[in-house]
This record gives sequence, C-alpha cells and structure tokens, in this order.
Amino acid sequence: MLRKTILLIGACVITCMGSTLLKAQINKIDFTEYDLENGLHVILHKDNTTPIVAVSIMYHVGSKNESADRTGFAHFFEHLMFEGSENIKRGEFFKIAQNAGAENNANTTFDRTFYYEILPSNQLELGLWMEAERLRHLRIDSTGVETQRKVVKEERSQSYDNQPYGSLMEQTFAHAYKVHPYKWTPIGSTQYIDKATLSEFIEFHDMYYVPENATLSIAGDIDINKTKDFIKKYFEDISRGKKSIVRPKVVEPPQTNEVRDIVYDNIQLPAVVFAYHMPAQGTEDSYALSMLTTLLSDGQSSRLYKSVVDKQQKALNAVAFPFALEDPGLFMMYGISNVGVTAEDLEKAIDQEIEKVKENLITDNEYQKVRNKVESEFITRNSTVAGIAETLANYHIYFGDSNLINTEISRYMKVKREDIRNVAKKYLTKENRVVLYYLPKTQQK
Amino acid sequence: MKKIVLSLFLIFSIALISVAQADRSKKPLPGPAPKISIAKFDTFRLENGLKVFVIENHKVPMVSYSLIIDNDPILEKENAGYVELAGSLLRTGTKNLSKDQLDEAVDFIGGNISTNSSGIFANAIKKHNERLLELMSDILLNPNFTQEELDKLKKQKISELASQKDDPAAIASRVNNVLLYGKEHPYGENASEETVGNVTLNMCKNFYNTYYKPNIAYLAIVGDINVVEAKPLIEKYFGKWKKGIVTAHKYRTPLPPLSNTIAIVDRPNSVQSNIIVSYPVDMKPGTEDVIKSRVMNNILGGGTSRLFDNLREKHAYTYGAYSQLSPDKLIGHFMATAEVRNAVTDSSVYQIFYEINRIRDEKVPQEELDLYKNYLNGIFSLSLESPQTVASFAINIERNKMSSDYYTNYLKNLAAVSAEDVQSAAKKYLRPENAYILVVGKADEIVPKLTKVLKTSNVEYYDSKGNYINISEKTKAIPGDITAEKVIKKYISAIGGEEKVLKVNTLVKKIKANAQGMVLEIETSQKSPDKLLIDVSANGNHFQKQVLKGDTAKTFSPMGNMDVKGTELADIKFQANIFPELKYSVLGVNVKLSDIEEVNGKDAYKVVLTLPSGSSMTDYYDIESGLKVKTVEKQATTLYSEYKELAGSGIKFPYKIKIEGGGQSVDFEVSSYEVNKDLNDNIFEIKQ
Repeated sequence: MLRKTILLIGACVITCMGSTLLKAQINKIDFTEYDLENGLHVILHKDNTTPIVAVSIMYHVGSKNESADRTGFAHFFEHLMFEGSENIKRGEFFKIAQNAGAENNANTTFDRTFYYEILPSNQLELGLWMEAERLRHLRIDSTGVETQRKVVKEERSQSYDNQPYGSLMEQTFAHAYKVHPYKWTPIGSTQYIDKATLSEFIEFHDMYYVPENATLSIAGDIDINKTKDFIKKYFEDISRGKKSIVRPKVVEPPQTNEVRDIVYDNIQLPAVVFAYHMPAQGTEDSYALSMLTTLLSDGQSSRLYKSVVDKQQKALNAVAFPFALEDPGLFMMYGISNVGVTAEDLEKAIDQEIEKVKENLITDNEYQKVRNKVESEFITRNSTVAGIAETLANYHIYFGDSNLINTEISRYMKVKREDIRNVAKKYLTKENRVVLYYLPKTQQK
Repeated sequence: MKKIVLSLFLIFSIALISVAQADRSKKPLPGPAPKISIAKFDTFRLENGLKVFVIENHKVPMVSYSLIIDNDPILEKENAGYVELAGSLLRTGTKNLSKDQLDEAVDFIGGNISTNSSGIFANAIKKHNERLLELMSDILLNPNFTQEELDKLKKQKISELASQKDDPAAIASRVNNVLLYGKEHPYGENASEETVGNVTLNMCKNFYNTYYKPNIAYLAIVGDINVVEAKPLIEKYFGKWKKGIVTAHKYRTPLPPLSNTIAIVDRPNSVQSNIIVSYPVDMKPGTEDVIKSRVMNNILGGGTSRLFDNLREKHAYTYGAYSQLSPDKLIGHFMATAEVRNAVTDSSVYQIFYEINRIRDEKVPQEELDLYKNYLNGIFSLSLESPQTVASFAINIERNKMSSDYYTNYLKNLAAVSAEDVQSAAKKYLRPENAYILVVGKADEIVPKLTKVLKTSNVEYYDSKGNYINISEKTKAIPGDITAEKVIKKYISAIGGEEKVLKVNTLVKKIKANAQGMVLEIETSQKSPDKLLIDVSANGNHFQKQVLKGDTAKTFSPMGNMDVKGTELADIKFQANIFPELKYSVLGVNVKLSDIEEVNGKDAYKVVLTLPSGSSMTDYYDIESGLKVKTVEKQATTLYSEYKELAGSGIKFPYKIKIEGGGQSVDFEVSSYEVNKDLNDNIFEIKQ
C-alpha cells in the first residue's frame, strides 16, 4: 500500500504542483496553438528526436461536474468512451490501438478527463481519427454499460476498499467539504454507480464531450502543416454542443472549527492525516504553499522527514503535498506511525513542525535549497512527449496560457521567505483543518 | 468571362471541401514506417574493472548515474533482510559527512542519491554534475556504518513489514515467492520482524566489503553529457575504488509442483480475492525462445489480451487480468493474476485455465498474431524515447552475456515469429497441470468451489508470511444428518424454547469488567425490531455510545461523532435483533454449517452467517449442550459461558462474556439482564 499511496501522491505533486525553473537552463518548449471554428482548442509541439507521437484530448469535465446522487459518473463515463463509436465496433478500440503499436489509456480527476494514445509517428492520423470518432459519435449500449458498471466496481474494490488506507483521500475530502462537489472523489460511491442509466450517459456526452470543451494536444515527431490538415479533416465538421455547459458555482464557505474524526481500517499502523483548506491553483498563495510542502517533505533533509522520520523515529513516512485544484483545494499532510507510536504522538510531532514554520522565517540557506529543488524539478520534467502534451493542455484549460510550461517557474521564484511564513500562518490554523486518525479496526469498540 | 472564372473558383473550392471531407468509415492507413534506430552509446573500462556506458541525450539538462553491482543473490536464512539493510545503510553517512550533512548537501543541489544492495542511483541538473559525483563517490568509497543508523533502519523495516500485513497484494507477493522458489532459494526468502531483529552491523559491513567491487560493477551515465567530458570525471571519482575477488553462489533450480496445488491465505475481511497462478520457468534472457514466448504471453495476458477480454470485458469479474512470463539468469517464472470479487473466484480461475489451455491447444489466428506483433513492435519503438532504455539494453547484454546485436535484431526476430512458434512456446512454457493456484481471500467462501473447479483436493494453507499451516488436524467430519437449521433449533430449545424466546420484546444487559486498572461497563438496550443503544463507560464516565433507531445510527466518542452508514449500518441493524436466530430467513441471512471445531476443549458446530450487507460472522454451538459458546466477527471474538436461567423469563442467558480483539482480551461478568422492561423510545433518539 505504501508504494501505492506514495505513487498517488507523486502523481499529484507532478500534476497539481506544476512547478519551477531558471530561465537560463530550461530547454524551451516551442508550440503552436489555435482554435477551430467549432471551438476545439489545438496545441502542437514538434520534437523529431524519436519517431513517436502523443495524441491527447483533455475534456474540461471531472467529478466536480457530477450531481451528489451520481458520484463517480464522470469516471464511469470515461470507461464507456472505450466502448466504440459510429465506425468503431464495441471492443475494437483497444485492439485498433494495439494493432498500431500504440499505448492508450485515460484518467479522470476532480476537474478534467484526459484521453491519450502514444503511437509510432506514422500512425498520427489513426490517433486523430480515433479521438474524433468518440468525440463526434460515441456509441454505447446497455451491454457496454452493464459490463463497465461491474468493472468500475471492481476497480473501486481493488484500488480503494481492499487497500489499507485506501479510503484516505475519499475520507479527507468528505470531511473537508460540506457543499462543494469536491466532497466526493472521482471514483464515487457504489450505490450511485449502480444507478447511472444509459440515457444519462448520452446526455452527459451531449453536454461535455463537445469541441468547445476540449483541448487536442499533440506532441512528438510531427510535421506541423500536415498535422493541421489531418485535424481539419477529422475535427472541423464536428458541431458545437447544443446545450450550455454547466459548471459548479458552489463556493465552499470558510471552515470555522477544526474537524476531527477516526476512520477504522484494515491496517496495522495508525496514520494521521491533516488537510487545510487552500486557495485555488495559480494564486500567489498557492505557489507559496507549494514551496512550503517542498520545505516540509521533499528530500531527506526536509523538515518532516528529518525531524519526524529520521530523528524522532515516530513515522515510517511523513509527507506534505499541495492538492491544489481548479477551485480551492487542500494542503495535505499525512504520516504513518512506526510500530508502537500512537496517532496522538505522531500528530504532536507533525504539529510541532507546523508551528515552527509559522513562528520563524526559514533560513537563507533553506530558502535557497527549496528554490534549487523547485528549479530542478521544473527544468527536468519535460522529458517525454506524452508528458509535454498533457502539461500544455493543463495550462490551457486551467489558466488559458499554455506558455506557462516555460514561464510558470517565475511565479515560484517570486515567492519570498516571508511569503512562506505568511501562508503558513494564514492557512495552517486549527479552525481551517481536518484531522483524521486512521486506526486499526481491532481498536474499534 | 469573369463569370466563368468565378464559377471555376467555385468548383475549386467545392473540390477542396470534398478533399477535406473525411471518409470516417475507413480506418486511416499508416504513413511509411519510420526508421527505428537505437541510440548509439560509448563505453570504456577503468583499470579497476568498472565498465562504464555513456548514453548522450540533451532533451533535459540533467545527468543520471546508475551504478549496478552484479553479484550472485545471497541466501540470508535467519538473517533475511540484512542485504537490503546494508544497501540502505550506505546512504546514512560517510567518513567525511554525517547523515545530516549528506542529506543537506544532496537536497541543496536539488538532486537525488539513493542506495540499495545492488547499487547506487544519482541524478541532478547539469550545473551540479561534479558536486553530485563528489557526493556519490564519497558514499561509495567511504561509507561510515553506525549502530545508531542501523537501529533506525531496522525499526523502519519492521514498521514497513507490519504495514504490509493488511495489504493483500503484498501478502500475495510474499507467499507466492515462497511457493515458486522455496525458502532455500534467495528469491523465496522474505524478511520478517524476527529475521530483521537478528541483523548486526558486522553483517552489513561484511556485505559491503565483500561485494561492492568495481570488477563486478557497471556504471550507466545517461543525459546531458558526452564521453569526452565523462571519462576524466569517472577516473577522478571512481578510479580509486579497489577491485577484489568476489565469491560466487550457486543454487538448485526450483521446479514446478508435480500437480496443481491450491494455496490459500485466509483473509476473512477481504472483499476481493487476489489470484495468482504461477510456477517457476527455466528460461535465460537473450535465448532463442524469449521473443517467441513473449509474443505468446502477450496474446494470453499482456495488456488488453485474451485474459483481459475474457475476465474483464466479457465477464466483468475484474478491473484487470494479466500474465507474465519472465526469463531470468537464475530462474524465471510464469504468473497469471487477477483481483476479483469473492463470489467469482472459482469462475475466474476456471477462465484463466481455459485461456491457458486454449493457446496451447489451438493455433493462434494470423490476424490476432499480427496484432500482437504490431503491438510489441510499437512498444519497442515507444520505449526508445527514454535514454534509460538504451542504458538497460547495454547492461543486459553485458550481465546476461547476450549477443551484442540482440536488440538491433529484435524487431527482425519479432517479425519472424509464426503461429507455430507461438503454439510450441505455449506447449513448452505453459503448464496447466503443474501450477500453484494462490488465492488471498475469504477461505470459507472460496475453497469448496475452487477444489471443485480445479478438480483437486490439493489444498494448502499459509499464513500471511508464507508459513505453512497444518489445518487438517483441526477439523472433524460433521455427521450426515446434521444441518445448520437443526443446530440453531437445538440452541433455541436449550435456552428455553421458541415460545418463551418469542415473547421477548426488550432486553437490557449490563456487563462489567476490571481491565488495566479501570472499571469498564457496557449497557446494551434492545427494543424489537430496530432500536439499539450501547453505552460504554470507564470508571463511571460515559466514554462511547452507539444508537440505532430505524434507519439511522450514530457513534458518539471523545474522538468525534460519526454517522454510521453503508455496510456498518446494516450490521448494526442486524445486532438490534434480540434473538436473530429465529429470523434468519426473514433477515435474508445466509446460514451455512461449515465444520466442527473445538472451543475451550469441547467440540462445537461452526455456523457461518452471511448478512445481506456482505458482512459475515461465525457462531459456534457446543455439540453436547446446544448452547452458543462463541461468535467471531471482523474485529472481535466473543466467548459465552455460565448459562443460567433468568428468573421470571424462563430463558437461559450467559453470565460470563469474554471479548477478544486487537491482541487483548477482557473478561466481563454480567451484572444483570432485564427482559421486557418498558423502554421509552426517547432513549434511542439520535441527537446531533
């Protein structure tokens, strides 16, 4: 499980934090972008070093667009996008990709759903045809829905219910939000997965799977003009949606009292989770909070690791990460106790580190270290064409500025020592947080 | 004239539009195949024997160093874990830098350095390249092993082992290693709390001194650097490393089981079964069969394959089902895996074997074969994007003594694989008669169906660490005429008979115990059919409360209040029944007499209940008296004794109750039972 949780968090740090660099060193990512008349946004990045290409589509729809009695719907729908289209029979989608020597997959988060194919570059047209097919005319039937309903439930069991600490994110978000749809996570709940109907899926496609809600991002061994022609051929005549896209406008009211609870799980070692409400991604404070998590838990000299894991030996691991989202997200920390350490003990140890960053400015040396870390991550992250395609699409849909792939680092570099202390003081307060204890079921009375 | 020109333009533009109009019914054809070439790399050897590979790649301004120590695996026996700990200990300080200083130095350059028993990995951005090498070299050449740091690592390792006890995937992997290779083979060893406890500082030092030698090591340098720049740096930082003679180790080759063997790890709270079908395979990397059997395995279970289509897309048993057939220098393995819901465990195993047999018995259709060859061709090309792939090719060739053009010829050899090759690889490497079928899951529910579907009674039980459990001695045969209904009927008549039991509408039970210097009291009030109040106090202070009224329930405790929902709510509602035994069919409870086990030295019938919520519990009824003597639930075991008739009710109740759970047990005395006391509904009111 540890491996899994750490992966989850690793992925989060990469996708949500975005991050850093110094202009002198970064290899600049060049790209072309434009809109088709139907509103589809296109981003093209050319890199001919390896004869492969990543074709991706990001739809600006995620679990936060679901209604409270259909949680898990967006992710369920993602599975159905592999069912087939007007010209692709059920079960053929994976096969066509395989036959082309391609890898393909998709994933759903709170805010967006992402589909991709990584293909040998001579199969670019095929990738575009496939994505155009399911955008234009998805074909789903009740057999497909019933099969995927069971598959999604098995996915839930395997990845969450049968995993130690598997409900950690779900429980944290459920406790942190009262009204905002972030109170459920993309996997959703079994009872609503059971209720979703075929006609609801068709409506969902009509509303969100429309060109004006999609970003087609392509990176790799391409010829820009030829690629534009292909895109025109397959996407230009797809019509806009007929409905206006519904986006949640709910604002989560400020939390005024600490929320505290216990989750009993099939685990051996207690865990403590802290979640503080934080502002939306892209805000000045979110960059400072992101750097604060680097200070706290990136590397073996980081504060939580050094103090709680290495010196005091209270925890097997202790991690801080910004779960920055399109709407205000959570600044999260968690630790898993070492054998014989209680949740209360561990909470105290982590709390002490929080108090320190609120009281004292970090030293110049530490400040420089955090900047170096952030810089290093930022300039080394664009190493795959698939990663570049996704990063460009993210910057476009969340910030309307794809060029942040080259420039976002300056926003991190603007953060001062004082800013890090100030955001700690402002956000890391008791009233603003959720504290969860994960305890072994054997301790449940 | 003008008109004609205009209409010509019009024709042109129509023609242009029709070109742009896509014929979507046809799958686009691929363009000319791109040339696939593996990036060139440079190589040199230092005088001390260290073999170095340099793979130049300037995509991002970073350089990485992977040092690999290629020693034979070591059998650690009662000290299992020491090799791993020695590897981690390398990173805990040098003769020049304490651990704190080292951590600070690595983080300051925004780099990473990690160590393990088979090497060191380091990376950083280019501008810190030399500082990184300085630190890596210091770690490699001047490590400072201390007892203090070893103790920390042992504590961490023991905690990590504890955390895995509830992870079904980790359990499956540990137990599978034992099955595949046996405990006398280094691949079959698992560290435990005990063996980690045995590890000493000297063992770790000896490991380092014996095996960390340049003459059995490879260094792969990947990234923003070339050989001209790298060579003098490597000589400077690794040239002083002293070579030495390294002991070789040989092991007997593990064999597949003589016949199919079911191995079970009982995990009663599992909602899914982790299935692994496996056996050892003798196939060395780089040999002729590797590519053919890779194609075969991909058709069977690589990615979206036959297993995936069958178990996921057709039957919806699982989120995914896969197989692997891995060559290895010592001993390889075959493995087919799936995580499936409890109820379809046997069907899933059946389908796995069906697919294994099908690919052996029937020649694969050409179209399907081409699909997987195309796929493997593509995946190979995609993998070349990462310069680390090229590094691993170079190292594989060296350490496995493969032909130097193995990877250059890979695509050519892949293209030549025929349907006959696939079938003969399947016949040679798939062993549907000689496999271990490991299932980590709810034994009660899955074992009888598994033995039926596999037509074998060869069942072995293991604990989560892979230790064999002898279970056969514990169970005894149930007499033919006994059923679960009869056992329950006998219990009801033993406590006073159905007529008296049915008259009970409310029950208040108070129990008390002295535990850990505290007086614990639990008062349970039940009112038919759906009201329940459990009040726990310690030294007279109310400590925890649980209330159920109709369809809502809540738990109150000093740590916070929680609404009870889902499965848990369903289970509490079941508990609200005073004598549920009379209502099993109404409540939708599935009742099964499973076998006979001893409780406190006396034989008892074991009755397994499965609630509609999916939860299950097990009751034990004393064969002689008919009384219920034990109940096992997810988190706790309760033992009942000293049954006495409660005056006025005509019903016998237990007066001693022992509750075990979480490694503790508490003996309760019953202070009082009150039957049909007038309970006001107010006491079940749920206040927020």
